Amino acid sequence: MSEDPDVSLLRPYLLTSGRAKPIDQTLEIEAQVMTTRLGVASQADLAFERREIVSLCRSTKSVAEIAAALGLHIGVARVLVADLAALGLVDIARPGARLTQDLGMIERVIRGLEAIR
Amino acid sequence: MDSKPSVNTTRRPPTPVKIVIAGGYGVGKTTTVSAISEIPPLRTEAAITSLGAEVDRATQIPSKTTTTVAMDFGCITIDEDIKLYLFGTPGQDRFGFMWGDLVKGALGALVIVDTRRMDDCYPAVDYFERAGLPFVVAINLFDGVMSHSADDIRWALAVSDDVPLVTFDARDKLSVRDALLAVLRKTFDVAKAGATGWN
Repeated sequence: MSEDPDVSLLRPYLLTSGRAKPIDQTLEIEAQVMTTRLGVASQADLAFERREIVSLCRSTKSVAEIAAALGLHIGVARVLVADLAALGLVDIARPGARLTQDLGMIERVIRGLEAIR
Repeated sequence: MDSKPSVNTTRRPPTPVKIVIAGGYGVGKTTTVSAISEIPPLRTEAAITSLGAEVDRATQIPSKTTTTVAMDFGCITIDEDIKLYLFGTPGQDRFGFMWGDLVKGALGALVIVDTRRMDDCYPAVDYFERAGLPFVVAINLFDGVMSHSADDIRWALAVSDDVPLVTFDARDKLSVRDALLAVLRKTFDVAKAGATGWN
């Protein structure tokens, strides 16, 4: 096997059939991914990374954690997760819209951090 | 890999929130994340393929961008519904391509400064100012000694008086906590000012 850096970049995107952009381009890297019942039922039919993601996300993971756990570029993880979500195999919990204006949410995060000792 | 046979179909996953940890190479971003993260920092890589065309125009170098950039991150469970992620990202201009992704939906940013190499954080300060993301400048006191006055640093960074400037120790959990709290309080103030504005 060659260690040609071009290959290492090319290969991950072969997993996504060449697409570098997810179906849903706005998926945040901190979005929470959780395997659905359908995902569990379909796991045996999936191959490689898709199967691993469905397996991994039986307990909730962020897109970034999936990328780290499976050694994927973050862009690739995002494409795969968006695809699996479109198929109903995973659920995604995304950050709230206009989070930076959500005073109640910001206060809760402040209180949570203050509780750290 | 999957030790849990049961699947959460009833419990909702937590709502994720994030704070961006920026600054130049070696300034202590990963140390900061490790000090407070409840998991050992994870590393993920992003390829800069999406920036290829822009790099080419700027440098006239043929299109073979194979650079990847490592991003370390960790997380803190705030309560049963909220999980805070900390993403440490390089401050250098050439990684600016990924900041759009990082900044979108972020509550704010902590820009870590090493006073010996202050210019390393200029791109980050510049970016967050333009993006309108609340941020705090945090001087990492490696040796516990502040070699410049806060005013000097503020002047050198050309940040306005409304940008909070704090000192902290990236190795110390509570010190990191307080730096993050400074970010959130800034975010809160900005949000409150927006909420009580004319619109």
